Amino acid sequence: MIPELVVSDVTVRFAGLVALDSVSFTVRPGSTHALIGPNGAGKSTCFNVLSGVYRATSGSVRFGDAELTASRPHQVAALGVARTFQNIALLPRLTVRDNLMLGRHRLTRSGFVSAGLRLPSAGREAARHGARVEEIAAFVGIAEVLPTPVGLLPYGTQKRVELARALCMEPRLLLLDEPVAGMNSEERREMADLIVSVRESLGISILLVEHDMGMVMRIADSVTVLDFGRRIADGVPDEIQRDPEVIRAYLGDIEESAS
Amino acid sequence: MSRRSRWITLGAVWGAVVVAAVVAPFYLEGFWLQTGLFAMSAAVGAIGINLLTGATGQLSLGHAFFLAVGAYAYVYLSTDVGLPTPLAAVVAVLLAGAAGGAFSPIAGRLKGAYLGIATLALIFGGQHVLFNAEPLTGGYNGRPVPPMELFGFVFADTPDLVLLNVPFGALERLWFLGLLVLAAAAAFARGVLRGRPGLAMNTIRDHEIAAGVMGVPVARYRAGVFVLSSMYGGLAGVLVALVFQRAVPDYFGFLLSLDYLAMIVIGGLGSVAGAVIGAVFVSLLPQLLTRYSDSLPLVAEPGSGGVSPAEAARILYGAAVVTVVLFLPGGLLGLATRLRRVIPRIKELRWPNSATAPASRR
Repeated sequence: MIPELVVSDVTVRFAGLVALDSVSFTVRPGSTHALIGPNGAGKSTCFNVLSGVYRATSGSVRFGDAELTASRPHQVAALGVARTFQNIALLPRLTVRDNLMLGRHRLTRSGFVSAGLRLPSAGREAARHGARVEEIAAFVGIAEVLPTPVGLLPYGTQKRVELARALCMEPRLLLLDEPVAGMNSEERREMADLIVSVRESLGISILLVEHDMGMVMRIADSVTVLDFGRRIADGVPDEIQRDPEVIRAYLGDIEESAS
Repeated sequence: MSRRSRWITLGAVWGAVVVAAVVAPFYLEGFWLQTGLFAMSAAVGAIGINLLTGATGQLSLGHAFFLAVGAYAYVYLSTDVGLPTPLAAVVAVLLAGAAGGAFSPIAGRLKGAYLGIATLALIFGGQHVLFNAEPLTGGYNGRPVPPMELFGFVFADTPDLVLLNVPFGALERLWFLGLLVLAAAAAFARGVLRGRPGLAMNTIRDHEIAAGVMGVPVARYRAGVFVLSSMYGGLAGVLVALVFQRAVPDYFGFLLSLDYLAMIVIGGLGSVAGAVIGAVFVSLLPQLLTRYSDSLPLVAEPGSGGVSPAEAARILYGAAVVTVVLFLPGGLLGLATRLRRVIPRIKELRWPNSATAPASRR
């Protein structure tokens, strides 16, 4: 059962700067929702609030019955919220397999004592979750690089490893921060296809921050547009594309630039 | 190299190490046995601080404090409380862990160098107590350490014991105890590092935010690793007290904490083998210089006015730390790994078909 994510009136202030100004939107269960806006609009701040990294100054974020603004990052993760990072946050010296095993952290139990004493329970757990990691790696198309240290992989593949690591958490809500940034058009198309197939085969909700408008319009069910920390539009992609305020935010005011 | 031949090489190397360690007390004189035992106890302590500093990225300058807790708790519990010595040793290690636990509200919240500064307080507080709580610690002169007695077997010079014509005194007997303790401590730490906790610790070190987002309770983990590292410190303290046969406060000062940091930097951060290699290097160096001071240039007899062996050793491993930081990011262990990777490649020039071994984790 996938709950709704309801963001209501979230405000974030850093000293004098208002990074988010009473932003509200709702991610319907099983939908792909895009969060777009020019640089500095507050998209990443919003992600950091949703994943418990930043504290909101006011407002609330509800995921089912849980209030995310009062939770620490690992408590948000325990609710089944997974995220990727704009700048890859993998451990470059570890293998892909080890990086993915970190995604299983919240689903596994072995602690210092059982790992240190190599109790059979820890071994069984590692084997069971290792098998699931292999399945997910195959799904994302990185099965053949499982034994390779992440740092040796090309950028596009590292982005896929990040997505796979988030999927290893068996999430109910997936937050993707610019999943195709810095990729070439071939890699972008593959990643977009992958995101669509994640949604279709797992049925989870996806919230996406992305600058690639073509991709957003193609795969998103609904779109929220931020500018200078405020929500300036919210709706289905077709409406958003025609919204005069959105066009002004991206391209500037026509009269202003004429004068 | 094929998988099989690699296993055979590995087995041969380990076999040689084990044989050498077992026969050592039959050939080495007391001086070298004592040096070896200091190295073993240092290795146990270094493994502990490498879990904290190397693997989790939390600096600690207070490691010597936990060694002191272990050493003095062992003395107090066995002499004053009258616990059987093995039990006293176990409780001493647990007490060191409890001391770490008492500090864990701070250890969980502060990160990296900030924790290092906070742990300085442990050293100065600890030194004050060691010098002044005389009934407990014996003050400046410290206290004698009762020998360990396991199932009726005493780790001391009396009663006499001769094995294969070699008189087995305290050092010879402790040698085997030290080996067992070190092997167990190393195996446990390796299990931790290779298992679920190790991954979480490495992620906290390299990317704290990612660790939290992936579901790792960062503060709780930092506190947990701090407690574990304190217990390793306590165990090293018990061992060093048994070898030294006297617990003196001077030994457990700030310089000892710095020695431990030097060990893990020189040996290799974040791994068990690195900690052991660094501990051996840092413990052996001053002893070697003391032993051969008369035949070495610039090193004088202690007290004769020149550079004493202990000072010379500090200068030398200060230089070793700088060298490692500049040229050997993986420490001596990293150097060994690099050599191991280069040697097959040289062979490959002759047999182009053999594949190089993939990099191993940690």
